Amino acid sequence: MQNRKTWKTTFQAFWYILPLFIIIGVFNIYPIIKSFAMAFYNDYNIFTGETSGYGLTSFETLFSDQEFAESLMNTFVYVLFVTPLSIVISLAISILLNNVNFLKPLFQSIYFLPFVTSTVAISIVWRWLYHSNYGLINYLLGIFGIDSINWLTNPDWAMPAAIIMAIWKSLGFNILLFLVGLNNISKTYYDAARIDGANAWQRFTNVTVPLLGPTIFLVSILSIINNFKVFDEIYALFNGQPGPSNSTITVVYYLYKKFYTEFDYGVASASGIVLFLIIFVITLIQLWMNKRFVHYR
Amino acid sequence: MKVRFENVSMKYDGNDRTILDDMSFDIQDHSLVSILGPSGCGKSTTLMLISGLLMPTDGKIFFGDTDVTKKDANARKVGMVFQNYALYPHLSVIDNIMFPLKMAGVNKKKRKERALELAELVQISEHLNKKPGQLSGGQQQRVAIARALSKEPSILLMDEPLSNLDAKLRKGMREEIRRIQKETGVTTVFVTHDQEEALSISDKVMVLNEGLIQQHSGPQALYDRPDNIFVAQFLGSPEISTFDFDDLKAGFDSSLRDRLQSKDVKLIGIRPESFTQVDGESGLITGVVDRIEIVGKERTVRLKLDNEQIVDITDVDINFTEGDKVSFTTNFDAMHFFDGYGNRVVIKDAE
Amino acid sequence: MASVSKKIIIYVLLGIGALTMIIPFYWMIATSLKTAGEATAMPPIWWPVSMVFSNYVEAFQVAPFVRYLVNSVIVTALSTLGEVLTAILAAFAFARLNFYGKDVLFALLLATMMVPGELLIIPNFVTLANLDWINTYMALIVPWLASVLSVFIVKQRFESISDNLYYAAKIDGCSDFRFLWQVLVPLSRSSIITMVVLKVIGSWNAFLWPLLVTNDTEMRTLPVGLQAFTTEAGTRFELLMAASTFVIVPMIVFYMIFQKYIIKGIANTGTKG
Repeated sequence: MQNRKTWKTTFQAFWYILPLFIIIGVFNIYPIIKSFAMAFYNDYNIFTGETSGYGLTSFETLFSDQEFAESLMNTFVYVLFVTPLSIVISLAISILLNNVNFLKPLFQSIYFLPFVTSTVAISIVWRWLYHSNYGLINYLLGIFGIDSINWLTNPDWAMPAAIIMAIWKSLGFNILLFLVGLNNISKTYYDAARIDGANAWQRFTNVTVPLLGPTIFLVSILSIINNFKVFDEIYALFNGQPGPSNSTITVVYYLYKKFYTEFDYGVASASGIVLFLIIFVITLIQLWMNKRFVHYR
Repeated sequence: MKVRFENVSMKYDGNDRTILDDMSFDIQDHSLVSILGPSGCGKSTTLMLISGLLMPTDGKIFFGDTDVTKKDANARKVGMVFQNYALYPHLSVIDNIMFPLKMAGVNKKKRKERALELAELVQISEHLNKKPGQLSGGQQQRVAIARALSKEPSILLMDEPLSNLDAKLRKGMREEIRRIQKETGVTTVFVTHDQEEALSISDKVMVLNEGLIQQHSGPQALYDRPDNIFVAQFLGSPEISTFDFDDLKAGFDSSLRDRLQSKDVKLIGIRPESFTQVDGESGLITGVVDRIEIVGKERTVRLKLDNEQIVDITDVDINFTEGDKVSFTTNFDAMHFFDGYGNRVVIKDAE
Repeated sequence: MASVSKKIIIYVLLGIGALTMIIPFYWMIATSLKTAGEATAMPPIWWPVSMVFSNYVEAFQVAPFVRYLVNSVIVTALSTLGEVLTAILAAFAFARLNFYGKDVLFALLLATMMVPGELLIIPNFVTLANLDWINTYMALIVPWLASVLSVFIVKQRFESISDNLYYAAKIDGCSDFRFLWQVLVPLSRSSIITMVVLKVIGSWNAFLWPLLVTNDTEMRTLPVGLQAFTTEAGTRFELLMAASTFVIVPMIVFYMIFQKYIIKGIANTGTKG
């Protein structure tokens, strides 16, 4: 229960929310509007603010740019591999973790370590692990008789290298959420299913998966959005380059490049808007699927 | 299906606390048996052992003539109703009822037929497409029973099934459970801590305390002829009064006194409703009326004896007030005799 | 017994997973303690023989890591402090006060969370350029003084505290402002610590924004400085690993200390948000 709203309470509240809204207004709300506007400017001069009117020039340039098509393609490939693989692996690990008590906190901490580490720093570490001559990974593959792979210099292997590292880095966060979800499933459901004659796999598909539905949904929506915005990993893993011969250029990298090295603000903004729309549409689809398929207690 | 426990013991790993100690009993086919006891007495563990969700540390369990000790819940084909019902929240009522049949690989048409039949039996037919979350506690209970019965279980197990219902509903559901059990004839084991529940619906009651069977008999015998002091005190409200033999012996004639002494009787229990008032101070017990409590038609007199012992007495005419000195006696048949270990001692009435 | 072998399999699988998680960290530290020759030896040397710390010394001589560290600490500390303050104040208004436009404003905040931050960097850059803030602490700190997510976390916690406490405080003559700082904030300590911890991790590891607004070596934060250092270190991976260790270890220590709050915080925001 709260007080009735009056001009007095409104005046009071104003001072409480003012600091937040100054920052959010200048650095969140204004730029959202501004970037839509910028995307529709023709020939924008950032320093003078001059523009020769509004139009779709930036989008025309964007969509005729082969590089943007590649960056879209790469981003989709990245999302399509990292998200499901990370979810499946982290779900499996969470279920294993949920079955043990001894050492569980230790395991959990270890799996979570990558989440707290700087993406840049750990990507540089992976650059070393992937090193074609002295890298640990090629050495380990060599033990199994697999020839050295030029992970970071062969355009065919650059994307898999980024994907593997991204999965590795994302596991801890997902595991944490899955463990919370699993914890919320009462043990009696498993007892009931056992009594009802369900074997281990049937218990997984008929109890764990449906009752974990909300968590699986949440994890997938968070990871898809996050993975669409991939930049740090690529930048640091390939030493500031978008992979060998542009092979791992992503949408955000494209935006960064247009903006920071080519000063093409209109096209950069347009690419940002495309990214926003993609994320927006995917969120809508997921919300729809959520309503349709996920059961909430 | 008949159930037999032979010297079953149960310890949980990790600690050495014994939950059940060397337990043996038989449950007759088609009967409804309650396991009654205070919390922590091992009654839920006993149920879990019958279900196969837990395996005993020692001993053997038989269903009919088959040794099922090593078999899991599925192989034992038991049905179970859980305390919080454990209905699958994402499945509709009918899907919940069909679930065990689906697991058993029964085809869809048969599944549905059987489920509808059961929904009829438990009177839940008008809610078939609802989710458990949309049902009241009593309705969820009915669904849980139908689900447990759907695969035609060898035994139906119920773990405190009424404890989550409110008092009024509980009584109705109790009769429902009895009706369903009679109609299906399924052997049923019912765990509860509520004596009224146990006594009212069961063919037999097993009273458990600290992992040991205290008494396993018909419900009336439990009240009328408790095997030991624990059972005598656990059943009945207000609680039975127990007196030291030495305190009462003055009121007995010498032949009775000798007989009781020769059988080592140490304690005598008398239920509150078994007392009758006598004139003066000529009764078995005499004391000051401490309090008179009248709630509706229930009258309870609290008597304080000279040795400070408090005795609750019910079902007497009240022709005295608080502070009066009153005397009560009882007849021989209403007295329960126990030896120094608290076990019942049978004394035949001589004349 | 079947369950024993099942347990063994589970532990073996978990062990393999944990090893995979930890090897990159181990390899980073091990390499940072090797000489150049050991670092590139094939087959690899699992345990550094010479245990040299000279890589750290050398890395610090080549690039001003101490300066980077100071920058990172300043930026992280101030932006965290600011975010906590703005979040607590706004959360109080949204949780406790009733005012005109409350629902609209809240919806507006919600909407901003839908937009990827990457879309904002261009106009924000322009704004800062106009303010002449590029290459200053202002650029690194000011845009991050507020976060809608933090407002949510704190608001949720405030709302869970009984109204009666508010009325009791009012009867005792406590003003709203004092009630906020002397009752609500202490009672919400763990939620606020959670928020702080998540913010510190995010701020410490932030890369794209600091990369854009700092041209000057002097203004770089650790991740940006580290990335720049790769040019200077070239193929000297033992130096790079020493520098990476220097960036990563503070957060690992921080994580060890506040683990409880991180896990709880993510669990809460994750399941409720």
